[in-house]
Parts: sequence; C-alpha cells; structure tokens
Amino acid sequence: MTTEGAAPERTLSGTIWSEVDRALSGITASAERAVLDVIVTIPRDEVIRGLKALKADEALAFDYLRCLTCVDNEADGMDVVYHLYSTEKRHNVTVKVHLEANDLFVDTATTVWRAANWYEREAAEMFGVRFRGHPDPRTLLMPEDMTDTFPLRKDHPLAEIEVLQGEGIAWGVEE
Amino acid sequence: MTNALQPSEFEVQDIMINMGPQHPATHGVFRMVLQVDGEIVKDLIPHIGYMHRGAEKLSETMDFRQGIGFMDRTEYLAQFNAELGYVMAVEKLMDIEVPERAQWIRMILCELNRLSSHFMFTGAFGTDAGVFGTSFTYAFRWREEILDLFEEITGDRLMYAYFRPGGLAWEVTDNFEARVRQVLELSKQGIKDIDGLVTNNEIFKARTQGVGVLTKEQAIDWGTTGPVLRASGVQMDIRRDEPYLFYDQVEFDIPIGQNGDVYDRWCLRMEEMRQSVRIVEQCLTKLQPGPIQPERMPRMLRTPPGEVYIRTEAPRGEFGIYMVSKGGNRPHRLKVRSSCFANLQSLRDMSIGQYVADAVLALGSMDIVLCEVDR
Repeated sequence: MTTEGAAPERTLSGTIWSEVDRALSGITASAERAVLDVIVTIPRDEVIRGLKALKADEALAFDYLRCLTCVDNEADGMDVVYHLYSTEKRHNVTVKVHLEANDLFVDTATTVWRAANWYEREAAEMFGVRFRGHPDPRTLLMPEDMTDTFPLRKDHPLAEIEVLQGEGIAWGVEE
Repeated sequence: MTNALQPSEFEVQDIMINMGPQHPATHGVFRMVLQVDGEIVKDLIPHIGYMHRGAEKLSETMDFRQGIGFMDRTEYLAQFNAELGYVMAVEKLMDIEVPERAQWIRMILCELNRLSSHFMFTGAFGTDAGVFGTSFTYAFRWREEILDLFEEITGDRLMYAYFRPGGLAWEVTDNFEARVRQVLELSKQGIKDIDGLVTNNEIFKARTQGVGVLTKEQAIDWGTTGPVLRASGVQMDIRRDEPYLFYDQVEFDIPIGQNGDVYDRWCLRMEEMRQSVRIVEQCLTKLQPGPIQPERMPRMLRTPPGEVYIRTEAPRGEFGIYMVSKGGNRPHRLKVRSSCFANLQSLRDMSIGQYVADAVLALGSMDIVLCEVDR
C-alpha cells in the first residue's frame, strides 16, 4: 500500500478520452485521470451541447445518467459533477463543470436525461446552484420555505457536534 | 319516458387525493399527491424528504472509521452492501490491498444480505398485493434465520459496522461455514415455499401482470437501476459489467424481464435469490484460512487528495458512493447515490392511467427504503 503523496502516475493513453475528445469536437474540454474514471472538464456555456454530443455519439452512447451532484470547494467555487454510463457499451466517464463562487448557475441537463430532474433539484436546494430552465424548480428534501440557506455548503454550520469536534472533544485532536 | 339526467349534464372534474406520509402502503414516510378521475390516476406527484437526516453532511465531519456505521443507517435493509461501497471508496483512494479471505467473506455476507433483503421484499410486497399474513409471516421466518447468522458474527441484528477499510473488523465465528450452509438450506426451502404460495398463484398473476409497466427506453431515461431496470429488459448488472470483489471468479446468471411489469419484478427477484444461493455456495468452496486485515494498517486512516465514484450492485440496484478527499482523515464530500431515489422518479410514468390500487403495487414493486431515498 502507498501513503499520502505517493499516488501512482496515471496517464490518459489507452482510455476513453480519445473517443470523448473526438465526440466533443469544437468544445474546449480538458481531461485528467482519476482513480477509476476519466474526468472531462467542460466550460459552463458548452456543457449541454457537450453532454448531448456524448449521448448522441454512436461509439460512446452515454444514455444513462448515474449520478449528478455538486462539490463545494469554498473559495475555488463549485463543481457540478455528472457521472455517465453507457448501458450498451458499458463504459463510464465523469463530466465536470466549474462554477465561480459568485456566479452559480448552469443549464439544466433534464433536456438530455430526464433522470437529472431530482438530482438537480437536490443539488439546487443543498448548494444554491441554479439550474437554468429546470422544469420543476421546487425543493425536494428540504421544507418548501427553506430556500435561503444551503445546508451542504462548507460554510454552513452543522450543529453542536461540529463545535465540539472543533474543540477536540468529540473524537480527539488530529495527530 | 326519457332519462331526465343525461351524463353530459354532469360537470366532471378530477379530484386531488393526498396519500401519506402516514400510510401503511407507502413503506415509510412517503407522500404522493394523486390526481384521479374516478379511480384512474391522471397525475402523480411524489413528495420525499420526510426522513432527511443530513447523512452526507454528517459524514463530512466523521473520520473514515466512524463513517462506516453511518452507512448502515442509510440503507437499513442492505447494510453490508452499503458498508462495502464506503470501505471500497476509502480503499481505492488509499490504494489498499484487501486480503483474499476478507474479500470472500465480504462476498458471502453481501449475497446473504441480498437474500434477506429480497425476503423482506416478498413479505412487504405480498401485503401490498393483498395477501397480508401469508407471504409476510413466511418470508420473515426465513429472513430471521439469516439475521441470526449476522448477529452471531457481528453482534447486532441490523446495524453491523463489520467491514473496515482493508478488510473486516474481526474474524468470523468458528462454525461460520457450517452455519452459512445451514442458512442456505433453509433459504432454499423458503424460496421454494414462497414460489409455491405466491409466484404461480393465478390470483396473484392476475393482480400483477400488466401493471406498472415501464418500457426499456423509459427505464434508461429515468436512470432506474437494479431489478426495476432489468425487469424492463436492460442487461445491466454491475457485478458482471464492472466486477468488484471476486464476482468475476464465480458463475451466476442475470435474469432479465420481458414486460417490465410488476410481476416481472417479482419473478426477477425470486430468480436473483436462487442466484445468490448459488454464488454463496461457490464462495464457500473457495474460502481459505488467512489474514482478514493487511499486515500494516495506519492507526489513523488518511487518504491522498482525489476522488472516486464506487458503484456496487446492492439488492435494490446501483448503490454509488462518490467520495472526494482533499487529504486528511475525513471526506471532503460524500455523495450517496441511492438506488431507490433513482427508481422512485419513474413512479409517475408507471402509475399514470392505472387504478389507485395499482399505483400502490408499482410503488411496492420498487422495494423502496425511504431512509435510503432521503439520506
């Protein structure tokens, strides 16, 4: 086993990236290799065009949306993450869209897969990201009137337990 | 004499009915608002969130060992499968090699968990279909045998917290293999009993065939997973498509439905139970003595920065764990991709044009766990 900082070198050769790059012609996408999948980053303005191209491409055929979620990177803004799968070709790719912290909106992916509907509603209420053109922009898990606070953001306090942990009471100070 | 009142003279309008959150047929706290014309469902709006406990946010404050116990509470009918996703995410990020024996035991426990979860389904679904008592009491008797075995190993009937990053918490009991064989024999008997009582029952068939149909295209577009997706004829099982543990070293068949109706989902789960028995039998022949944890494990688990999306085939479908780490001893972000959450979105398509009682059947056929939906 390896320890921190000694992650093995991963290259993109021999991965699905060459196919994705071909399908995304005309879109400025970049890629990196994560532990399991290839992560493709697409600019916000072109994301729906890109996702549609990935779904329509015959060799890729990403017809299945596995998961859609957000990651809060605090000062570095937010990432919207799409996990795609092809039920026919049985391969995966992860698509990321970066949003600036003061400008949180992206076009809805419900026009590509209907499955995006609830995932986007959840991401919207939890992170405050606005999905432009969403057909049903109500809250999903939160109360209907709770639209001004976003619980999964990093700056949102949890409760007393987090305060206790900050003081090193709950489970000991980090070594 | 002519009829004084012609039907066209009545003003006909749809009625909105609220069903739930406290309703025995909604399997927990789930509410749906139905727009009905007589008894036909015209529109259905599901409302979820009554069980939302902020599991994802809480996980961000817990280190990698504390998080395991939380997974049990997220998916309380397939606990081993849920734990597996979490520990595999940590293992992948830290690049830990898991000893063979630990992998085989994990596989045995996950498949037995699938059996117990499907037994639960057969019981609960029977209640939805109007055979209260019969299938429920039978199924729970067999499920209890499996839970007894889990209790012997882990010390708890439901909340196991038995998997650890790297392997298992402790060695299984000495008579583990004999006990598993015993449970398998009982389960085989149970599957046979339920098949005889329900699956081939003409009344049950008449009640469930052609109800809650989901076409192949709808199933993929809504992102449904597991038995719901396979009953609609889609060949997708993560155990075969992207093997984890040692699923590539055992033989098993993946049943596929043809009509995508409620009856197909039932039959598919019955077949999956037989396949689970088959998998566990093969695992037992390959189980060898050996370590259950890597030789050197750090006392405090720390992952390098990175992200991973782990998908495993839980009883209800794909259970995904998306873990983002920025270094340190807890996840920066943990997303639980719940299988029922994905399935529940398709409920509207399944129910429109059907009777209200059939909407209940469609909901039951997804085998929903509201704790997992809301997290």
